[in-house]
Amino acid sequence: MNQEHTLTDAVAADFPTLDRQDEHQLLPQLVAHLRQHRTKLRQEWATRIHDAHLLDAMTPQEMSTETTSVYDNYVEVLETGSVEALQHYARDLSERIIPRGVETHEVVGIVLLLRDVLARSLFEKYQRDFSLLNRVLDAYEPAANRIANTVAVSFVDERERVIRQQQDAIKELSTPVLPVRERLLILPIIGVLDSERAKQLTEQLLTGIRTHRAKVVVIDITGAPDVDETVANHLVQTVDASRLMGASVIITGLSPEIAQTLVTIGVDLSKMNTIGDLQGGLEEAERLLGYTVARRDGSGG
Amino acid sequence: MVRRIVRARVADHPAADDLVQETLVRVLGAAERVEPGMLEPYAIVTARHVVASMWKEQDRQRRNQHRVADLRLPDAPDEDLLQGEDRAAVAQALKHLSERERRTLLAHELHGQDTRSLADELGSTAGAVAAQLNRTRARLRVEYLLALEHTEPFSDRCRPVLIALSSGDRRRQREVDAGRHLLECDLCARLSHPLLARGQSRDDELRIPIRADADVVLARQGVRELAARVGFSGTDLTVIATAVSEVSRNIVRFADAGEVVVELLKEPRPGVRIVARDTGPGIPDVERALTDGFSTYHGLGLGLPGARRLMDEFAVVSEVARGTTVTMTKWCQEG
Amino acid sequence: MATGPALVSILRQGPYLIASIHTALDDSQLIRFQKDLIDQIGRYRSRGVIIDVAALDVLDSFGSRTLRNIAEMARLRGALTVIVGIQPDVAFAMVSLGMGTGSVHAALDLEEGLEYLDSRLPAKDVGRAVSAPG
Repeated sequence: MNQEHTLTDAVAADFPTLDRQDEHQLLPQLVAHLRQHRTKLRQEWATRIHDAHLLDAMTPQEMSTETTSVYDNYVEVLETGSVEALQHYARDLSERIIPRGVETHEVVGIVLLLRDVLARSLFEKYQRDFSLLNRVLDAYEPAANRIANTVAVSFVDERERVIRQQQDAIKELSTPVLPVRERLLILPIIGVLDSERAKQLTEQLLTGIRTHRAKVVVIDITGAPDVDETVANHLVQTVDASRLMGASVIITGLSPEIAQTLVTIGVDLSKMNTIGDLQGGLEEAERLLGYTVARRDGSGG
Repeated sequence: MVRRIVRARVADHPAADDLVQETLVRVLGAAERVEPGMLEPYAIVTARHVVASMWKEQDRQRRNQHRVADLRLPDAPDEDLLQGEDRAAVAQALKHLSERERRTLLAHELHGQDTRSLADELGSTAGAVAAQLNRTRARLRVEYLLALEHTEPFSDRCRPVLIALSSGDRRRQREVDAGRHLLECDLCARLSHPLLARGQSRDDELRIPIRADADVVLARQGVRELAARVGFSGTDLTVIATAVSEVSRNIVRFADAGEVVVELLKEPRPGVRIVARDTGPGIPDVERALTDGFSTYHGLGLGLPGARRLMDEFAVVSEVARGTTVTMTKWCQEG
Repeated sequence: MATGPALVSILRQGPYLIASIHTALDDSQLIRFQKDLIDQIGRYRSRGVIIDVAALDVLDSFGSRTLRNIAEMARLRGALTVIVGIQPDVAFAMVSLGMGTGSVHAALDLEEGLEYLDSRLPAKDVGRAVSAPG
């Protein structure tokens, strides 16, 4: 029970007047109580989460699974004094729920709710012996706070990691000239195109054409939410500039609505090679490249 | 001959900022205590002294040196000629100074009286006195050069322009449209050389005369080199060079003479401003000239509207029978 | 060559003329280049022309116009023109200026330009034009 000692020491540091002898008996007692009433307490906790409108993004099924896990981990920390397993679990949980839009306040909220549910149950159990209750709570509260702290920190750490990852991904996306195969580049345009960014994209594409000796470029605008006159003009310029460097451009992901808009504002689509989706665009690109090769082979022989 | 001397003495040594002014001031100051017959040699010696000291010393130190003149006489015949010209020029220039200007300048330059105590005497502020001193020096330089040329300005526009150039006051230069006047007035164009060369030569400005096709290439190469210093990307440099090419070509096509002035900007952020001006026939309908497809020669009608698309800011001022000024600016991208 | 070897060179390679511009040219030099090139297309009855502009610092409205003129005149004399070596920043400036590609074909470099001409011209021209009457 070395681990128990660890927790005891930590608690003792916080409450130097605490009786160590008592403490040794109290925590196992406490853990036993929480195990015994696991189903009822977990259920009560889940209800309070629901009432507080926390974790609304999750299905009842998921809620049940996760709350059970959290509960068991919680009790385990109280028992062993080690937060390591909880930390792992909390990170893992965060990784799963962050993409679903779960916020920091929700995670902290549910852990605090669990703390309160358990504290209340302890209160009920020991309410007849007031001094014992005090000692139980003295043992429980620091451990519970440490758990809440661990979960919250794990969640925030994970969140920051995800954000960093996304930022890196976005940074990569801002230089998104992807060489797909020999002589073929894809430029997926994602997000809002202002003049500055459009200029950057064009510069990168032109440099990429030279570096990769590209003959065909597929510009996919599926990910561009608004194609207004400015964006359209940039597109036209990019197509023209690519041609000046000897590369043909295929534009994919042009929705009928956007095509309509472009025609309305006077963009001559007949000068552009447009194909519905990226897959079709790639096929057309292959055809262009193959066509070129076939012709050369034919004329050279 | 006169021009050769002016250049030798002033233009070739940008640091000779205050040559003329210092000489005059010392001569004026000495006039009160030097024997009448000795005044001229004194002037020459002082001038040489001032020049020598300028190359060696910093501004402020210099002001308090050479209180005592070395009165050795010059020996080379060339110097004699120079003396004669200087002498006449000094005398001429003196007439254009008011009594008050002369006194203030003397008190400051020769007797070392600072601007604060001068301000107290004159019931003014130190800043105002300093500004007045600068204007007086600027005028002295102009009058000295005019006297050396043995000429009077052709028009009443000349003096304000030359004084603005002499004082290095860029705002004032714009007000009097100095750049345009220099294109139109041969005398001022000549005199402007030593004035512009004086003082610290500006390394953030480039002036390229445009007369022939080859100058267009020089202009775009020059602007590319200068603009590279404020951190423009390679693409932006080419974009700017292309715009300069367009506006310079217009000068060659439509005007006898013109110039392109490139100036680096620091505020509100790094950038470059290009002013292209000519003394051509002017553009009767600027609006139309800025419309795509409008062209009076075998271009594509893209000259002005194209240059406007390439730059961030673009303005055309034109006066029929007088000429055109195109001012355009490009800012560095941030980050 | 009238413009002098230092500025441009025009080499004959089989049925093709390869014209390389070696430095920034001013307008009058460009016009002389145009004249010389068109003269040689006629003299050698060239079927294809490659103009290498990699050394040009800018292609402004006049430069672009000249290249288009050359291509058009070459076409009237029965030669196909391809422009090679336009630098990325020059291409960017050209389209920002408002210069489209027009009908003139552009290729990345000399190699690509040759490939383009080979693919576009009938095999008999390409293969045998060297010994064709001329």
